[in-house]
Amino acid sequence: MLGVATTLTSWNADRTIPIKPPRATYTKLGRGSTIGRPNDLAQQRRVLEATLALLGRDAPLDPVYLDEKA
Amino acid sequence: MDILENLAAWTANFRAGWLATAEATGKLDWKRYQRPANAHPVSGKAIDLGKSRLVLISSAGAYLPASQAPFDAANPYGDYTIRRISVCTPISAIAYAHDHYDHAAVDADPDVLMPIRRLDEMVSAGAIGALADDFISFGGYQPALDRVIDETIPAIVREVKVLGADAALLVPA
Repeated sequence: MLGVATTLTSWNADRTIPIKPPRATYTKLGRGSTIGRPNDLAQQRRVLEATLALLGRDAPLDPVYLDEKA
Repeated sequence: MDILENLAAWTANFRAGWLATAEATGKLDWKRYQRPANAHPVSGKAIDLGKSRLVLISSAGAYLPASQAPFDAANPYGDYTIRRISVCTPISAIAYAHDHYDHAAVDADPDVLMPIRRLDEMVSAGAIGALADDFISFGGYQPALDRVIDETIPAIVREVKVLGADAALLVPA
């Protein structure tokens, strides 16, 4: 994004991967709960930390799959 | 680097297919909707997040009912506008205008889509240098990608620059 490093996390790998974002993690959390289950702070932190960690690497990166479910 | 490499062809297909059908019949025929794809990934340099200002960009349709118009969530052609919301806004002051996901989770815990509290914790821990003063919100139902590229993304980029962000976290709903 014009000099701004970007990262994202998505529950919908099938729709997101074809766009080829520079950095992304993928979960099986589901629509409406992208970061984690409600009030599951530990899961939310895991997803965020894994997704933000990608900013420390030059892009493009291969998709990163996280074992996080709804 | 183009946001969508085959934008002209995609737009022609969209207008002749999905959009023409919708305008002629009022029906949204997703079998005629071409899912976007790129052949080449976007490149970019690494950053030190601990020394960076991060902006959150959410497609959850968040807005402030007291001061902002809601997104046009019922519009079958989508809403391509954005809102800026202070990260200090009380959670109770935020509403969601988006008809394409179940709001039960975000109503129970806004961090599932707008993780401001989790990100604040990471700032306190030194993992993130700072959060931008505002997060950027839009409604993720936007079938016309030509309008996303011509309207929504430039508006977001403009605000990201104003906010002085070095990095962005995108959270699709």
